[in-house]
Amino acid sequence: MPPNRTLPELPAEVLESVLLHLDAPSLSALSLTSKFLQDFVADAHVVWRNLCLTTFQFWDPRHDITAKSSEPLSKAGWRALFHYRIHVRQETRRLLNNVLQLQYRRVQHIVEAAGYGYDAKDTLLEEFDCPDDCEDVLARRYYAHAILGRIQRELAIKVWKDLSGGKDVPLERALSAFDMFALVGRDVDLNRTSAELDDLARRLLRKYPAFPDMSTRAKASTLGQFLHDQGFRGVSDESYRALRNSFIGLAMRLPKHESLPLISVAIYCAIASRVGLNARPCGFIFHVICWVSAPKSYTLDGEYKPSQSDELDTMYVDPFRGGDEVFKADLIRKLKGLAVPASQHAYYLSPSTTSELVIRTARNITASVQSVRQNRGPYQFGVHAQSWHSPEPDVDGAFYGAIWAITLVSGAGGDVAGNMPESSHDVETRRRQYLPYLLECFQLHFPWDITLLEEHAIPLFPDPPDQNRLKIFTQSMRKLDSVRKEVNRRPPQNDKVLFKVGQLFRHKRYDYEGVVTGWDPACNAGEDWIQHMGVDRLQGGRNQSFYHVLVDDKTVRYVAEENIEPVEPGTEPSAAMLTLAGRYFKRWDRHNNIFVSNVRDEYPDD
Amino acid sequence: MASTDQQPKSQQKLILTTSDDHDIEVDRDVAERSILIKNLLDDFGPDAEIDKIPIPNVNEAVMKKVIEWCTHHRGDPPASQDDDTDNRKKSTDIDEWDQKFMQVDQEMLFEIILAANYLDIKALLDVGCKTVANMIKGKSPEEIRKTFNIQNDFTPEEEDQIRRENEWAEDR
Repeated sequence: MPPNRTLPELPAEVLESVLLHLDAPSLSALSLTSKFLQDFVADAHVVWRNLCLTTFQFWDPRHDITAKSSEPLSKAGWRALFHYRIHVRQETRRLLNNVLQLQYRRVQHIVEAAGYGYDAKDTLLEEFDCPDDCEDVLARRYYAHAILGRIQRELAIKVWKDLSGGKDVPLERALSAFDMFALVGRDVDLNRTSAELDDLARRLLRKYPAFPDMSTRAKASTLGQFLHDQGFRGVSDESYRALRNSFIGLAMRLPKHESLPLISVAIYCAIASRVGLNARPCGFIFHVICWVSAPKSYTLDGEYKPSQSDELDTMYVDPFRGGDEVFKADLIRKLKGLAVPASQHAYYLSPSTTSELVIRTARNITASVQSVRQNRGPYQFGVHAQSWHSPEPDVDGAFYGAIWAITLVSGAGGDVAGNMPESSHDVETRRRQYLPYLLECFQLHFPWDITLLEEHAIPLFPDPPDQNRLKIFTQSMRKLDSVRKEVNRRPPQNDKVLFKVGQLFRHKRYDYEGVVTGWDPACNAGEDWIQHMGVDRLQGGRNQSFYHVLVDDKTVRYVAEENIEPVEPGTEPSAAMLTLAGRYFKRWDRHNNIFVSNVRDEYPDD
Repeated sequence: MASTDQQPKSQQKLILTTSDDHDIEVDRDVAERSILIKNLLDDFGPDAEIDKIPIPNVNEAVMKKVIEWCTHHRGDPPASQDDDTDNRKKSTDIDEWDQKFMQVDQEMLFEIILAANYLDIKALLDVGCKTVANMIKGKSPEEIRKTFNIQNDFTPEEEDQIRRENEWAEDR
């Protein structure tokens, strides 16, 4: 029998296998036991790589984690990287806790946390998944979500900037950027959409092993058939305008795979590019289709036909309608029917640029958002803001993303009907036209995008008057964040303000669900507003208490006390309200029928 | 103990000779949990007459434990060859029978691990490593030293410094 063995005497590869089963604190304790083990743990690169890749799922693109994983182990610096990620986790938590504690410098803290980019995503998802009985569950979820959304938007903006700067951006990536604005969470990810398309392409080749040898025409129809079989069948007329149909990531992810023609075409072309079929989107009027070409010197049916000219043998396919071939003669007939001048026919029958498709998607989204908002009507609250687990895109986020795309991406053509390419003057006019919407959306819903605005939007308006105006605007936003809120105390006696911050109510006249987020002992709005709203015609006039309220459609309003109808005890807030309330409240107190305030710095007695 | 006939492997017998020169008879399919033995038998081909296989690195007591484990696990599906296990989340869950099996003194535990490593029985090596890992988990450095009889060769100053460097790991 060999002498009594102890841990350090195990063969190195066995000891390494033991370490692979340890978590970070145990590794740390072990390295404190002896010099040998200290060095061994520090140099066990495979252990640190394993710890990195199993502890953290999401990595900022700058680490290029896939490339790193195939580097020589000792060079990649996995141990340092692990330490860095632990540091990011601690900092993200600290900053989120600051955000939750005070309104003061909230934007600054969110921007700081978002600075860690995708390295903060794991921690933010953990915080988002905090238990339901967490003391500040609603606020924690709201702001973890807000920071992650801010990180996603920055990545999306970079994609569109790359596109605008002439870099080669794959179509699916340029379109996934819209998902990054309208949905927030674990599944929303630029790389994930690409990976899902890779997977579909692999499945196609498995199902049709002869695919690489097929003629172009056979490839085109096989791919169309395949997508149809996989459930990619466009969308019915009734749901055509639904907002979700414009998001490629969502179309890939949801079981019904519903999408507008543009997105169906993008999915078709993305897979085509992965399996050796030259297919590109063609921005035909009203309905994007697919332009497919045979390789040079071949016909669509695969015959070898050498030719001096650069002209390729081409055809059209409509993936939205089952992948059927569309005949050029029919397309030309349609153009003539729409009275499009013959000089423009070539434009509508050629492949579109990625920029054109991004702008077209942005317009499709704004059209859907407008129809959602119109259907909602002034006093009908049928359409609520999304709740955390809704697969529906957020209306405001979607709209905001569309405006960013329109602002950033130039060199594109097309209104809804696919008009001719635009000039730089058109681009400027378009930007200027959408600027007020951009600023409004930012101010209402995404004030923590201040740095995105400064860095990526403002430089696009180089005229000195514009620059001045925008700088004053952002400075005032920054100032708002950097002063402490004015304190509103209740008087010890004769407190005439009836309702507290956190009171859930229904509006007596309009019947919407709202919650009190602040109050004034008398109407504090300007004279114009008082006149315009007819405040003096109210029973209690302008001298009754007025309340700042958050409504379940995400709007913020100012309501007279006489219009507040507190909900009956036992009434639960709607799912949408529970989602939105986190901006001002810690949690819903079922026992006392009230939201617990997270704005005590402003209203300490409520 | 030839294997020329067409008996199923579970009925064929092999004899293993341990380092302390004991012969142990074992069913062929049990012995083939060891990739070392399996490769050896495959190299000789199905018709070879193999009497005894010497196992010079493993003594009788340890070999018997290893065979006990292999017998219990004779029906398990063979371990997959692809080595993506490195990046998978390592779990230290061990099934109940294996846990009981591993309730041996530390000397024996290390011997089993070394034998599994030598005989190339991946699943057994894995159970052994997990068992050792579980003996480390949640312990302070001093407790780990005691458990494994490790000599502390740090000066108090050195120890203090490393402790500070390792503070990050306290965060869970």
